[in-house]
Amino acid sequence: MEGVGQPAKMKCLEGPHLKQGPAKSCVSLAPEKELVSASQLEEEEENEEGEDDLDPDPDLAPDPEEEEEEEDEKDLGDPAVLSAVHNTQRGGLSSPGIKIPDVLGMSPTSLHFLWQTLDYLSPVLFRPKFPSANSPACHFGHQLLLPDPSLFCSLPTSWPPKFSLPSHLTQLHPQHQRLLQLQQHSRMQSPPAKKPWSQQPDPYANLMTRKEKDWVIKVQMVQLQSENPRLDDYYYQKYYQKLEKKQADDELLGRKNKVESLKLVTPYIQKAEAYESVVRIEGSLGQVAVSTCFSPRRAIDAVPHGTQEQEAGAASSQRLQVLHHIEKMFLQLLEIEEGQKDGPPEPCYSEQQSNQVEKLFLALKTQEQNNLEEAADGFLQVLSVRKGKALVARMLPFLPQNQAVSLLLAITHHLPLLVRRDVTDQALQMLFKPLDRCISHLTFHELLQGLQGLTLLAPGSSERPVTVVLQNQFGISLLYALLSHGEQLVSLDSSLEKSNSDYTTWTDMVVLIAWEIAQMPTASLAEPLTFPSNLLPLFCHHVDKQLVQQLEARMELAWIY
Amino acid sequence: MNYMPGTASLIEDIDKKHLVLLRDGRTLIGFLRSIDQFANLVLHQTVERIHVGKKYGDIPRGIFVVRGENVVLLGEIDLEKESDTPLQQVSIEEILEEQRVEQQTRLEAEKLKVQALKDREKEVQTEEVRGSQS
Repeated sequence: MEGVGQPAKMKCLEGPHLKQGPAKSCVSLAPEKELVSASQLEEEEENEEGEDDLDPDPDLAPDPEEEEEEEDEKDLGDPAVLSAVHNTQRGGLSSPGIKIPDVLGMSPTSLHFLWQTLDYLSPVLFRPKFPSANSPACHFGHQLLLPDPSLFCSLPTSWPPKFSLPSHLTQLHPQHQRLLQLQQHSRMQSPPAKKPWSQQPDPYANLMTRKEKDWVIKVQMVQLQSENPRLDDYYYQKYYQKLEKKQADDELLGRKNKVESLKLVTPYIQKAEAYESVVRIEGSLGQVAVSTCFSPRRAIDAVPHGTQEQEAGAASSQRLQVLHHIEKMFLQLLEIEEGQKDGPPEPCYSEQQSNQVEKLFLALKTQEQNNLEEAADGFLQVLSVRKGKALVARMLPFLPQNQAVSLLLAITHHLPLLVRRDVTDQALQMLFKPLDRCISHLTFHELLQGLQGLTLLAPGSSERPVTVVLQNQFGISLLYALLSHGEQLVSLDSSLEKSNSDYTTWTDMVVLIAWEIAQMPTASLAEPLTFPSNLLPLFCHHVDKQLVQQLEARMELAWIY
Repeated sequence: MNYMPGTASLIEDIDKKHLVLLRDGRTLIGFLRSIDQFANLVLHQTVERIHVGKKYGDIPRGIFVVRGENVVLLGEIDLEKESDTPLQQVSIEEILEEQRVEQQTRLEAEKLKVQALKDREKEVQTEEVRGSQS
């Protein structure tokens, strides 16, 4: 175990950043127990890998490069250590900073540290002797086999060394301090040529602008300000006092006055007058929590503040009102559905339920509007929303027939409008089933009323509503359902044929509709949800054969599509 | 630190390569591009590094925005010394496999422990019963 305990002078093998530093030196090994025995050293030498061509023979076959060092070698006590040193020198210096070979059984970093320590203990002059400038670079490049080149394509531009040592911030271990000092010196003095890749500008640098940085700092500073720093920041203040005192003493003793340590000075920022941590923005739902440095994440109260703004005429607020109304009605509907035990929804017989249903119907129909026209408009607005359609569809089974009929009539009268408004949702289909059920209970007269809405020319338009209706799936289904029911009624009850006016209206409408269907190009004809079987016979009764044939062709074709 | 002596701030660390350890155990390595007062971080060209034993694997992740409260610690990476590591880099598939294996062995060890404890419990119970009876 010769290695330990022998005070041998060892060359310092520094990385490139220490190359030209002043008096870095080699040292006595005595106090360091980390050194391994000589035998181990020899082993290591053999194992030591060389990216550079190392002469494996430790005992100093003089290299042309290292000739001058021979003399120094005589100073070294322990040949094993010496040889290790030698090899490391070849290896280490050629690979500046990247790789200090694992000599002496220590990790590179601790080895480096060791040298610093030894340096501290007894300074000896260091003779810088390095391989030529060429080799480091090429070995350097070789060493830099980075796994993912894309990650390391550029160095940050904040490479310029930091000059401020945090000496006053923490009491560093003297060794640590020295380490940092050396690093700092080296950075200041290292020639740029040694690090070709460090000069490439980082394209992503300064994404955070100076303004932003200042802003963050400002925020942080504001958090630090206080009326009574002696109390709030006791330790820092005391520490700073001690430091200043020490510096003053040093100055007295004659040592150079170091750069005055900076003190943290928090700006005196006027505290804002009572800020509102929760802000309500006009026109938006809910509240926005404004975060400040005093309350970065303020909880928002669930209690609504302030009154709801009434913006008359604003389209958005109107839509909001409609949506709000639909929600209220939905709650009522859910209650009714809840009350209805298992089974299909039917007009209920209990009084309470019928009251609820009545209320709901009134809510839908009138919408607290005094004007009938506006009420109808309100109903249509409800139907223009997908949820409104769902509401009506679910509500219909509960309604007594007369009320259901009134809804049906309202729908048929405004069918083109509804179709137009349904373009985005395509949700009218959900209304078909309940309406179909309702239709099957219609009286002839009611039926006629329904159909009339479709056939009458709307004022100011040359197009009959039927045309639009035929092109929409829901519309055409509804139409067919109505016609089918009409036909059924007529065929069942021959007395209807006798009441002239109604019957004439009926036949006129049938003919008109048949004509419209025939007119429509097959491609535009929508596919109905159901195709009642008695339609063609109906048309047969009322229109000529040719037309019937046309109709047949169209309707069946459309159906096949 | 130039800006605020006596304090710790991330301002000086901007545009430098950092290693960030998150509360969920992940290790991210990337260039720190932006911060704010909560120490939320924006990491650029981020790589998630998984360590198993002496091996590690990097998964490129792109840009990360990390909420400050999830950071355990972060430190600057010295680009010179970065590749100077005794660890061996392997492919992503391999490291994930290694991780899975490690996880599995850990779970199995855990299971054995639990089982052993249960057995001990039963032993103690039977002893107690015997003891009370005698």
